[in-house]
Amino acid sequence: MKNIAIGILIISFSFLKSQTTLNSAMFGTMETRQLGPGTMSGRTTAIEGVIKDEGKTLYLGTAGGGVWKSTNAGASYKSVFDKYCQSIGAIAINQKTPSTVYVGTGESNMRNTVSIGNGMYKSNDAGDNWKKIGLDSTEHIARILIHPENTNVVYVAVPGPLWSDSKHRGVYKSTNGGESWEKNFYINALTGCAELLMDPTNPDVLFASMWQFRRQPFSFNSGGKGSGLYKSSDGGKTWREIKTGLPEKPFGRIAMALAPSDPKQMVAIVESAKTGLYISSDGGESWKNQSATMNTCARPFYFSTIVIDPKDPKRVYRPAFQFAYSSDGGYSFTEASGDGGWVHSDMHALWINPAHTNIMYVGTDGGVYMSVDRGVTWQFNHSLPVGQFYHVMYDLKEPYNVFGGLQDNGSWMAPSASPGGIGNANWDRVGGGDGFWTVPDADGKTVYSEYQGGNMFRSNLSTMKSDFIQPQKTLKEEKLRWNWNTPIVTGAKNPKNLYVGAQYLYKSNDQGRNWQRISEDLSTNDKNKQKQEDSGGLSEDNTSAENHCTIFTIAESPLDENQIWAGTDDGNLQVSSDGGKTWANVSSNLSACGVAKQAWVSSIEPSRFDKNTVYVTCENHMYGDHATYLAKSTDLGKTWARMNNSIFTSYAHKIKEDLVNKDLLFLGTEMGLFATLDGGANWIRMKNNIPEYILARDIQIHPKTNDLIIASHGRGIFIMDDIRPLRNLTKEIWEQEVYFFPTPNIILNEGKLGWGGPETSGGWSAGNPPSHPSIDYYFKQRLNSGKVTLEIYDSKGVLLQSMPGTIRKGINKVNWNLRGTPPKVASGSTKMDGAGFTAPMVLPGVYTLKLKVKDKEYSSTVNCVHDTSNKNLNLEQRILVYNKAIELQQLYNKVNNAIDTINYYQLLLKSDSVAYSKRKHAILFYDDLQKVKGELMGVKKTSIFADEKRVREKVSELYGNFCYMEAAPNEMQLDAIVDLNKEFETQHDALSKVIAKHLPKNPEIKIKKHVE
Amino acid sequence: MKTTVKVTAGILFCILSNGVFSQTLEEIVSKHIEAIGGKDSWEKVRTMRYESVMKAQGAEIHFTVVKSDRIALRSDISVMGMKGFNIVTTKEGWSYAPWAGQTKSEAMTADNVKNSQDELNIKDEFLTYKELGKTIEYFDMDDIDGTECFKIKMTNKDGKETTYYIDPGNYLTIKKTEKIKSDGQETENSTFYSNYKMLAEGLNIPMMTTSGWSEMETLKLEINPKIDDAIFKPGK
Repeated sequence: MKNIAIGILIISFSFLKSQTTLNSAMFGTMETRQLGPGTMSGRTTAIEGVIKDEGKTLYLGTAGGGVWKSTNAGASYKSVFDKYCQSIGAIAINQKTPSTVYVGTGESNMRNTVSIGNGMYKSNDAGDNWKKIGLDSTEHIARILIHPENTNVVYVAVPGPLWSDSKHRGVYKSTNGGESWEKNFYINALTGCAELLMDPTNPDVLFASMWQFRRQPFSFNSGGKGSGLYKSSDGGKTWREIKTGLPEKPFGRIAMALAPSDPKQMVAIVESAKTGLYISSDGGESWKNQSATMNTCARPFYFSTIVIDPKDPKRVYRPAFQFAYSSDGGYSFTEASGDGGWVHSDMHALWINPAHTNIMYVGTDGGVYMSVDRGVTWQFNHSLPVGQFYHVMYDLKEPYNVFGGLQDNGSWMAPSASPGGIGNANWDRVGGGDGFWTVPDADGKTVYSEYQGGNMFRSNLSTMKSDFIQPQKTLKEEKLRWNWNTPIVTGAKNPKNLYVGAQYLYKSNDQGRNWQRISEDLSTNDKNKQKQEDSGGLSEDNTSAENHCTIFTIAESPLDENQIWAGTDDGNLQVSSDGGKTWANVSSNLSACGVAKQAWVSSIEPSRFDKNTVYVTCENHMYGDHATYLAKSTDLGKTWARMNNSIFTSYAHKIKEDLVNKDLLFLGTEMGLFATLDGGANWIRMKNNIPEYILARDIQIHPKTNDLIIASHGRGIFIMDDIRPLRNLTKEIWEQEVYFFPTPNIILNEGKLGWGGPETSGGWSAGNPPSHPSIDYYFKQRLNSGKVTLEIYDSKGVLLQSMPGTIRKGINKVNWNLRGTPPKVASGSTKMDGAGFTAPMVLPGVYTLKLKVKDKEYSSTVNCVHDTSNKNLNLEQRILVYNKAIELQQLYNKVNNAIDTINYYQLLLKSDSVAYSKRKHAILFYDDLQKVKGELMGVKKTSIFADEKRVREKVSELYGNFCYMEAAPNEMQLDAIVDLNKEFETQHDALSKVIAKHLPKNPEIKIKKHVE
Repeated sequence: MKTTVKVTAGILFCILSNGVFSQTLEEIVSKHIEAIGGKDSWEKVRTMRYESVMKAQGAEIHFTVVKSDRIALRSDISVMGMKGFNIVTTKEGWSYAPWAGQTKSEAMTADNVKNSQDELNIKDEFLTYKELGKTIEYFDMDDIDGTECFKIKMTNKDGKETTYYIDPGNYLTIKKTEKIKSDGQETENSTFYSNYKMLAEGLNIPMMTTSGWSEMETLKLEINPKIDDAIFKPGK
């Protein structure tokens, strides 16, 4: 038996060693480009700065884009939380040891689209590394406070889950720097802690704003018996409720602040039947109501920030719908000036630099602004690409454009490539309000967009003139119910079909000018879920965010325009096979495979390979269920199979099938983007320059460029250029030690776009896609020893270029510049010569690729083809340009040879080989050589700002022009080559004469063999 | 039989788990030192000279680097027929880059000299960190180029942080990231190491280093060459 066990052990081990499973590493080089935008940023939920370095170091928490850090007071930022949950509720810095930073995940601005967190994280090295430290089930965290002296004492305000009862709420305390937690204050399963204050002069004094709240998919309630204002004077051991002077209960959410310089002074905005501003001058024991404007008291559930200046107890700031400030302790407020430009409304975070209290940063729904004049005027930070897209679409232009709508920030479009790369200035706004579906029409001139509640428009992309196109109800119909995020979809089979959905599905064939209703009510039409006018709780809040029993997703089969799918937000999945004449509700079939009955149908993907196959994602987080619901049917919805995988970590938004490889699927979830290469048997988490827990809302694949386009709800748009290597990576390939992928044809050009000059708009910028396909190979394992070289040969077997290759596990990429090896440059110049970096672009033809991996060689070919789209350069002209470039290269080599010859003699003439008695002749020889050298190349002007063009510089310049020429050369350019040849000959003759004259008088000097 | 399979699977799991996850930081460092040739081999190294070439789309830049352990280094650079150099000693530094418009050598800033001191150390940093008053800390595994690596941060007395990523398969460093604070700016530089070669002297050294867009291949390497200290002054 023992031997058997050992045998199994060996076999098992061998098995494990020999099998290669699908993993993220396999396509790690296929990194995405993050397009932004930075010009329209996204919701920022927490801002904290390091006091010791005077506020140069900042940490920002965002609604769905993780944590960003600046070390230059906001001039630039970098993301420091890409491996973790991207929804951030709170940040705290240990100001005694600022390298210690805490992050609480899960934003607590409890809007309908708020994401969820998975607990607390801590870094001991200023954000380089993070460790998860508990409170995993809290979902939302509002505040973290660190005891200023005993920094191991940490308090966390936890509102807790938004969509369900939970015991994971209240005030938590750690006395060991987050190693363990105890619940310090708890009311009930409905009530959490929305704000926590600490008296800096007596850190045992704490104030807690307890908040009862609940969302359902169709309503919101802020307020209840659990809400109240509490005070502890013993570090959270005991709490007592404060009522004196406060309004009659029940309360909703309370925003509050105390003055760090005089902690007896406090302000609070108390949500109640009479929401108002309250002021305390006795450390919160008693309060006095103060009149306040709508802005000061608006939307307490969403605008929960009020801050008092660190030094001036009378200066109070209220970032809310607009930014307002008070200079009299909160008795009166003034709204910020508009000088300096528009400031985004809806504010959630404010950090005032305690060292320089004129300087502050505010976080809004549209990003971060900095003020240097105590909040009077504001400047936007342009380099934070944390916009929250709901969807993304593309057009078929070259380069194509992406389109998408952002939370509270309208609808936008940007090119996928632009001269010099994509900067903030490349983004154009095409719609207002909250943006959602933004869909270009196939005519290339029109875009459809909307704002919340189905208010939809057809816009002319040239003029941005817009027409309202929302279908209207008839007298016989019920009020139309438009989802917050109403679907606007063009047909996958027939792009002239335009669909929109209320509870009914509408179709237009004339760009929304006329509509045909093609369904009955496709929702459950549950009247109990249609009482939105009562939504909000203590504060009325009904902005269409809770509209329910609506169509949420629409899909036309890519194989049959009569096959139409519609999914609702209340669990219905409907399919029509006759263009909408009849419908089958297959939701019960779907729930039979384990999908929650009332779950939102978040995406439907009818297969492009089989008319009866369809994929569906559903999500049920609004009922407190975070399961990943992904299912597949191969019989048009009659039966379904779940596609589960333990790697999934949250609810699903989008399933996308590849356009070519039916086994390649992408899944977007609230916490991560996933891919399968084998039809769902195995999945991997995408880490390719994408946050690992990215909120992946939408996924598209461009049919022309094969780009994967990802809409994230917190990090803008990502593009993974040309996924063909991924598409082609089959199991047969990934089991091989080395695989050399076939290289697609390469079109010979310098790319489709030029440079266009430096980006002047500043802020975030994304690069362009590679101009040409890369040469790709696959390694099963990283190459630990030996080197990798890629050699390229022409049809005559001449080596054009030898390039080092990368050695990583998985797909490796080498980008060839389509040129040979640049010429060698002779020494002696005072400036760098660009010709040494330049070679002519190769001519059309088949080139041999040799991949040398240690002692093995793998061969392939690449076909380089003439660019027929370039009307400035036909094939004949291309050959002429190439030949002239080669002629110039040869001339350049001759010039360098002549310079080398001079260098050779001059070195000898200066050396000890010349006897002292012959020095006079040597000096004459040397000087005459120097005169010729000075005509062959610049040797006098050392400043890079002083031109000195001689033969070599002229040849180099013209050579460079011909190497990059993409139009037929003109006569002057061709004549210049002849002239330069003559110029060189003149100097070459002069050199020969100098040598002939002086060499006999310098017998110690050996004749240079290659003197021409 | 089923029980046997379960037990075996359990044993296998433990073996694999322990192999990867249960090592102490000291064990990782010890195996790393063994992988690069061992302490004894490195103790004998006093000077080093190597010639490297950086290739970019067919163009080449040549380097000759001479190091005297913890005393000085000189790097001569030849690019497009022009020659420049960098020199760093324990107290001073100079650079001369005529291609960048410099007409004579210029002294490095004090911050640059300070930040370059690690470069003077010929020996692997894990051999000398204690002696130099540096501390190390282990973090979770991190994916580097598709390989899950040990992640170890080294901090020197001035707070300069360097993170090393060590391949658990062979205990060799495959990436190093330095965080440099200099003249009010903070930058991060990463270098990747590959093509390790065991020299006759018993030292296992990467012959390929990649940093940003540049890939540098070491063509020739001498251990303990005789060095004229005069080269560590500008003008030579």
